[in-house]
Amino acid sequence: MSFSESLLSLRLSIDYRSKPGVLRNLALQMRRGEILGLVGQSGSGKSTLALAILRLLGLRGGVSRGEIRFQGRDLMSLSEREMCELRGRQIGLVLQSPLSSLNPALRIGTQLAEAWRAHANGNREDCTRSILAALKSVSLPEGERFLRRSPSQVSVGQAQRVLIAMATLHRPPLLIADEPTSALDTITQAEVLRLFASLNRELGMAILYISHDLLSVASLCHRIAILHEGQIVECGETQQIFAQPTHPYTCQLIEALPRNPFESPDRGNTPGQQAMETAGVPAHVPTGKSQP
Amino acid sequence: MRRIWSPLLLVALLAVSASTTAAQSGRELRFYLPAEPKTFHPLVVADDSSETIRYLTGGVLIRFNRQTQELQPELAASWKVSEAGRKISFKLREGILFSDGMPFSAEDVAFTMRALMDPNLHSPTGDSFRSAEGQVKVNVTDPHSVVILFPAPVAGLERLFDQVAILSSRSPKKEMAVLGPFYVADYKAGSYVLLRQNPNYWKRDSTGQRLPYLDSIRLDIQQNRDMELLHFRRGEIHLINSLDAESFDRLAGEMPSAAHDAGPSLDSEQMWFNQVSSAPLPTYKKAWFRSQNFRRAISEAINREDICRVVFARHARPAVGPVSPANRFWFNQALHVHPFDPQKALRRLGQEGFHLDGKVLRDREGHSVEFSLITNAGNKSRERMATMIQQDLAQIGIRLNVVTLDFPSLIERISRTFDYETCLLGLVNVDLDPSAQMSVWLSSASSHQWNPNQKSPETPWEAELDLLMRAQASTTDNKKRKEYFDKVQQIVWDQVPFIYLIHKNALSAVSPSLANATPGVLRPQTYWNVEKIYFAPEKSGGRR
Amino acid sequence: MKTLRLLAWGFLLSIFVATLLAEFVAPAPYAEQFRESPNALPSWQHPLGTDELGRDALSRLLYGSRVSLLLAPAAALLATLIAALVGGVAGYLGGWWERVAMGATDLSLSLPWLFLLLTVRAMLPLNEPPMTSVVITFALLGLLGWSPSARVVCAGTRTLRNSEFVLQARACGCRGWRLLLRQVLPNLKPVLYAQFWVSIPIFILSEANLGILGLGVAEPLPSWGNLLRGLENYSAVLNNPWRVAPLGLLIIVVSCFQLILPLEDFRS
Ligand SMILES: Nc1ncnc2c1ncn2[C@@H]1O[C@H](COP(=O)(O)OP(=O)(O)O)[C@@H](O)[C@H]1O
Ligand SMILES: [Mg+2]
Repeated sequence: MSFSESLLSLRLSIDYRSKPGVLRNLALQMRRGEILGLVGQSGSGKSTLALAILRLLGLRGGVSRGEIRFQGRDLMSLSEREMCELRGRQIGLVLQSPLSSLNPALRIGTQLAEAWRAHANGNREDCTRSILAALKSVSLPEGERFLRRSPSQVSVGQAQRVLIAMATLHRPPLLIADEPTSALDTITQAEVLRLFASLNRELGMAILYISHDLLSVASLCHRIAILHEGQIVECGETQQIFAQPTHPYTCQLIEALPRNPFESPDRGNTPGQQAMETAGVPAHVPTGKSQP
Repeated sequence: MRRIWSPLLLVALLAVSASTTAAQSGRELRFYLPAEPKTFHPLVVADDSSETIRYLTGGVLIRFNRQTQELQPELAASWKVSEAGRKISFKLREGILFSDGMPFSAEDVAFTMRALMDPNLHSPTGDSFRSAEGQVKVNVTDPHSVVILFPAPVAGLERLFDQVAILSSRSPKKEMAVLGPFYVADYKAGSYVLLRQNPNYWKRDSTGQRLPYLDSIRLDIQQNRDMELLHFRRGEIHLINSLDAESFDRLAGEMPSAAHDAGPSLDSEQMWFNQVSSAPLPTYKKAWFRSQNFRRAISEAINREDICRVVFARHARPAVGPVSPANRFWFNQALHVHPFDPQKALRRLGQEGFHLDGKVLRDREGHSVEFSLITNAGNKSRERMATMIQQDLAQIGIRLNVVTLDFPSLIERISRTFDYETCLLGLVNVDLDPSAQMSVWLSSASSHQWNPNQKSPETPWEAELDLLMRAQASTTDNKKRKEYFDKVQQIVWDQVPFIYLIHKNALSAVSPSLANATPGVLRPQTYWNVEKIYFAPEKSGGRR
Repeated sequence: MKTLRLLAWGFLLSIFVATLLAEFVAPAPYAEQFRESPNALPSWQHPLGTDELGRDALSRLLYGSRVSLLLAPAAALLATLIAALVGGVAGYLGGWWERVAMGATDLSLSLPWLFLLLTVRAMLPLNEPPMTSVVITFALLGLLGWSPSARVVCAGTRTLRNSEFVLQARACGCRGWRLLLRQVLPNLKPVLYAQFWVSIPIFILSEANLGILGLGVAEPLPSWGNLLRGLENYSAVLNNPWRVAPLGLLIIVVSCFQLILPLEDFRS
């Protein structure tokens, strides 16, 4: 955090064969250790961007052009082999839907072990130790019993935590989480948000937190980037975005936020604040004062 | 409505007419051709169906009687062979007309012979007359005498004329004008051939009645042998020339008077050892196969009686050698079937250093005696024979591996790669004369199966076979030829290049409603005397 | 349905045990020819009669069932393994690889495999003992019979390759063969299992077909194929209806295999 502030900086254009121009010359910067919220309505290309950063878009039939600078390296010029080394070790990714992202034929333990073995050599005990540590860090039951469960035997929330554990097993400097809370009920949502906050705080892990929901982002993120029509239309400190949105689309988003029907508007309580309180967000996270 | 009705009516009418003809078919003989006849030209016949048509329609100078196995004068009233078999002179019958009314004369014989020997015709029948290079000269001395002179002696010359149907030199109908009992009246490709009585046929029976008795013969083309049997049992056809043992027994159970077993046929089943010196076989195995005692012992270890009884339901006879006893003149009466005697076989093997080691026979060097027998897949009786031989040989400690191969692979092995040890196959014999077996016994020939295409004979006995076969071919004195060929049979019996197993019986079916039909072993088994065959009046078995 | 399946299992198991105990159960050695009584009717000595060479039909049925029931699953296993390899790799690598592999599969599906089998068999050494020849026959069936399964496996692998969890695994850095073997393959298990069970009756019937052509198992070893050949002898079957016993057994066994086919696995 001390020397190079910039962790990731990218400028990308992405086309699908059947849908060209999903992202058009999109530019984004991330600093070390920060949580950046990427907000856009569904279908705006958030997941596409996440995959593009790891250069996994080809599997989905997408083509990306531009550059991705990560820790001073241009990912676009790396070989596939080097990318494999990087995935999971330098950049972790949690896909959008927790249940379908777990391999139904493998036990939880096996899946975690596979992810561990992708970047580590070692005996069974090393492996198990790391896995158990990872489970602990995502507040999952650490017992061997849990490891023997199959994906069909865990809840959605647990599945999401397993995925996070998998993605952070090797302590990558950057974690990309694609809508990690959308599939969860509110209480679990809050728990997961708290989890991200602690990962960020304790490991200094930068997180690209993708969501369609401005609200869930507000409590967690240091900065927010608004994705609209293939471009980042606005990017700034969370507080600033909520306080002084400049782009009409951002204004629209903030306007559309639900209000607590029992709160009177003059009390100045924002939904963001509410979420922040529930999640026990660290102090330096801005408090939104967002009366449009 | 009417449009719909009319074809239906037509069908109904056809059905009626068909059933009436069936009811009246008293004078129409019916049987099946196994395939489409390839030609109606009698001189270029090469297939079975065409041969049938030729036999039924062609008039020949000399007929080889299928029953007595003797030559009988036909269009030639008499003949004489001279100049050591180079020359034959015919005296022809007079007053004979072709089916279209043209008179028959010596000119027609000359015309036929010239056509036959014309190299451009490529006549298979003509080939058997070609003994040496040079012209065949035909001399018409008077309207009913003709002399034919060949460049070199032709073995069994007279008998060859049995195949030569005389053509008309002048008839506008060309080869369709015939001298035989029937002529081709109608033919629908792929469906049937209809023959009608030749109104000008010259033969008469003892009471002076014109032959043939039958009005017509309908030959439907039918490949399916099961259908043939079925239709015979339903009375739709009257003859089946050859049946397998199973069908025969089934028929004999239902219609005992229709099933005819004429005894052993000319066809044989045999196995032989690969004696080719360049064959890709281990040396010790080549030594076995080249040992006379080994071959004899194997022959003696095979129970031929059991094969006849079990595989052929007794419709077969153990074979002595290449000549079937059915071939009355040429069969060597002095020879007998190698007796089944495993103990004797073992003693014989002992002389060659083979010995039983427990239940396994080993040769002098200790190799266990094991070899393979190939035969063509899909032939049930051959596969069964092989299995029986397998058990017979197991009795003397030999392991036989039976391998069935598709026919092309089998031929490839026995004639090109020589990558086989023993082979079991059958031989179809159509000709009684030893000349027909020339290519089997000459060591230089390609059908000399156990070791074909030898530059010079590799063994003394093969050299002797060569000499004897050439000798019998170069004389026309049948007594001498018989002596030579008896010796050939004797050598084959001693040396066992082929282990002759059995001769299948000639099994045929003849409708009980036919009179005068006396099936024999020679082709055509059932209708060789077709002009005398007739439908017996119901219930009265009397002859005309 | 459940009881039916149980019955089918029970039947198959008992046949299996009976064939394994053939040495003790069979009334006579399968190759022994009682030449005095060919085509015999059932009797105390020969409970199912004898065949055309006088061999005990029950003994041959028992030993023949052993051959077919042991080797057909082995061939099915072989075919399924090849199918897993070809289909799996093709579906996993996709693109050019998939096109080539599926082309090869189509080709082998359209090949006149019977002739291929004939040719291969014709090239084999002649002095193989019957047991080797039967093993080779089934091995050939297995080697040639993988293509239909390979298509199914390939399609399955393709779906898996594009699945979220494989993408997730890739995002974690999993890659290459290990990804195929440890993440993709376990998901193919039900497909492979089903293919395996489906192939067994197919191979039993193929061997029977070969046997009917006279190209199956070499004499004197019995198999269902060459036992069925006995049925060609129409008159013998008429005289001795027990001759259809092998056919009956074949039909029942194949239907049993159909019954116990793991339907749940198809559903999942
Ligand atoms: N594999 C694909 N092929 C073609 N178009 C796609 C594909 N995946 C996504 N898209 C399209 O790209 C756009 C962005 O999709 P996505 O990145 O999934 O959006 P988000 O994650 O923001 O909801 C959508 O309009 C979607 O229809
Ligand atoms: Mg998305």
